[in-house]
Amino acid sequence: MAGRRIVVTSGKGGVGKTTTTANLGAALAKRGLRVVLVDADIGLRNLDLVLGLEKRIVFDLVEVAEGRCQLRQALIKDKRFESLAILPAAQTRDKDAITESQFESIVAQAAEAADYVLIDCPAGIEAGFRNAVAGATEAIVVTTPEVSAIRDADRVVGKLNDRRLPMRLIVNRLRPEMVRTGDMLSVEDVCEILAIELLGIVPDDSEIIDTTNRGEPIVLDAAARLGVIYDKIARRLEGEMVPFTSFDAQGFFGKLFGSLKAG
Amino acid sequence: MHQPIPHEEAASAVKLGRAIVVTSGKGGVGKTTTTANLGTALAQRGASVALVDADVGLRNLDIVLGLESRVKFHVLDVLEGKASLDDALVRDKHSETLVLLAAAQSREKDEVDTEQMRALIQSLRERYDYVLIDCPAGIELGFRNAVVGADEAIVVCTPEVSAVRDVDRVVGLLGNRFKPQLIINRLRPQLVKKGKMLSVEDVNAILRLPLLGVIADEPEIIITTNKGEPLALRREGETASAYHAIAARVAGEDVPAPAPEVKESFMEKLGTIFGGRRA
Amino acid sequence: MSLLRGRGHGLEVHLAGWDFDAAIAELTARLSERPEFYRGTRATVRYGETPLDAEQLEALRGVLAAAGIELTGVELPSAGEELARRRALRPKRELKLSDAARSLVADFAGARSDIAERRKRGESSVRRVNVAAAATSAAALQVAPPPPPGTLYHVGTLRGGQALHHAGNIVVVGDANPGTELVATGDIVVFGRLLGVAHAGAQGDSDAKVYALHLQATQLRIATCIALDEERSYETSEPEVAFVRDGRITIAPFSKAAEVAG
Repeated sequence: MAGRRIVVTSGKGGVGKTTTTANLGAALAKRGLRVVLVDADIGLRNLDLVLGLEKRIVFDLVEVAEGRCQLRQALIKDKRFESLAILPAAQTRDKDAITESQFESIVAQAAEAADYVLIDCPAGIEAGFRNAVAGATEAIVVTTPEVSAIRDADRVVGKLNDRRLPMRLIVNRLRPEMVRTGDMLSVEDVCEILAIELLGIVPDDSEIIDTTNRGEPIVLDAAARLGVIYDKIARRLEGEMVPFTSFDAQGFFGKLFGSLKAG
Repeated sequence: MHQPIPHEEAASAVKLGRAIVVTSGKGGVGKTTTTANLGTALAQRGASVALVDADVGLRNLDIVLGLESRVKFHVLDVLEGKASLDDALVRDKHSETLVLLAAAQSREKDEVDTEQMRALIQSLRERYDYVLIDCPAGIELGFRNAVVGADEAIVVCTPEVSAVRDVDRVVGLLGNRFKPQLIINRLRPQLVKKGKMLSVEDVNAILRLPLLGVIADEPEIIITTNKGEPLALRREGETASAYHAIAARVAGEDVPAPAPEVKESFMEKLGTIFGGRRA
Repeated sequence: MSLLRGRGHGLEVHLAGWDFDAAIAELTARLSERPEFYRGTRATVRYGETPLDAEQLEALRGVLAAAGIELTGVELPSAGEELARRRALRPKRELKLSDAARSLVADFAGARSDIAERRKRGESSVRRVNVAAAATSAAALQVAPPPPPGTLYHVGTLRGGQALHHAGNIVVVGDANPGTELVATGDIVVFGRLLGVAHAGAQGDSDAKVYALHLQATQLRIATCIALDEERSYETSEPEVAFVRDGRITIAPFSKAAEVAG
């Protein structure tokens, strides 16, 4: 049975799509699932870099599409996880180097031998976005609790609705102290505007900038707060009902959106 | 009926303003915030400034300036002749000499014609001292349209490896026509000290660009962005001062650099050996 | 080109441009004109395109000895001349560069599994030649000879995403940033920092080399060999050259290139 094909998208750039794709993929692989990560950002590839695999690239997505190599030759196995591989994008080409149907068939092929194919979508809603979405049967929308990010996410949700893709939301870089003072939108606010099911809440954490710069998925660090959170997101993706962790100092466990949560 | 934009008029009697594109390749590094704050800072110095949001379909410059409710017409309306430039330009709430030309939210980037965009920027240059163009993320048509009317470029980079890689790509694409200057955004000096973040030198070791300024990360920036009040409106504060210093440098003043000077790159050294041939 | 030259310390026999047998004949004739003139002098020989084999060297020694001249040394050509010699020796191929120059003709999967094997054994995939520090001299950094025809000569720094593909050699005067791709059927010379991917001998020539003032490539490829060097620090300060030896990519300081290239 072929694996699930999920595009990780946002509209706005810089909200954490690539970091999410890499870390969620690593969390799934750590649980023993077979994961293939596909970088659809042709010309501005970064997925390889955040996983520290940039030196091992021999073939890329475009060369697979052009038939110059097999998919299996282009896939780079991540040595840290038994079952994680990535298909890097091309760096010296641009987004019209591949068609939607070419991309779709590559993703389908990758899904034949994987439990999950996560597609790292480029910013925007142009050709790159269309290609990335063409390969997917589900979507994860990533946003930060900022007005401009939410506006862009809303645009993306509209486009995904047109294609009838089931989608879920990750709210990234939440700063609970700023939510408390009213200087940042709360998760509830975001969910209400976008009206899609919540998959995860990831708080702002400087640790992840460092691990990303070093090319290490944060789930490798058992003690890292964000590692635990990505693991929970992976479990939710697998169908488990994992509660969102509360932030409140008093440990108030209201209903799901009754207190400041993360997870 | 409104007239469409006239094509390049004889501008010999008019001193053209400077058209600067603010770009990065990577999204989310602070192009829009930088455009808004730099524009505000220049206007506070008395210059006349036009800000152009070139991010068709995902417009944000209006939000950052708090002008979203005042936008009646956008770039495409002007290009298609549905509105005049005067109708579309929105005067800023806080700075008298600052105006905004918003992007179209519900359209697509491929609806903008590159040559028309160039002509539009040219018209603005005839009327304003500075035209700042907020470039969308990416390197496709949206990027090309934002760049086409500009004669200078500012690249914005955060101290992250993926941002450095994308900015380098963009600098390559900008080509020999531009000599881009660099703004490093969202630096966290404490993290740099602890070795948990790239330093200014780390970033510029690859990019090798003249440094225009360094902006440290602070929560204030998000707050003011959400509220639509650029930090550069303030007289004090580290970030406000940084933007004012950048504006002064852009205006040609010799303001001391905020961070250690970039070591002369190999190419610059080589320039002297090869009689001035440069990258 | 004159065969015999007097130098302050002795004689030089210059074989460049000479057919060996003709040179021997000429040398014998010249020396016999003035039989005692050179007695007691020393000579070195400099060969041209073709190095001498043992037999020829012996013959030469004999001719000189008969005139009382001691053959004390054979002068190796400079690295630049050596390069030219090797290039001259390569069979001329009809080179057509297409996009296929970027993909290898051979199967990289084999090269990758080779690297994986080495990693398992705890070895790096790059072998560094341990050469004692060369005596510093002005000759340590030799300026590249003028490029032969068919060399792509690029002045300026290459930025991420830019690629140069060329049938022939590539010379870049400037840096090649991470994210760049240099693919040449011949050699690659970077007069600056090489930080991107470099593929020399892209159509299978494993004699091809990669030179850089600062060799820190993301990935090095020569013909069908591939190397990912992950242990190098950024502090390397001397020019280096990468070449293939025993089927593996090897890096040596440039000043020693002529000796170790083999």
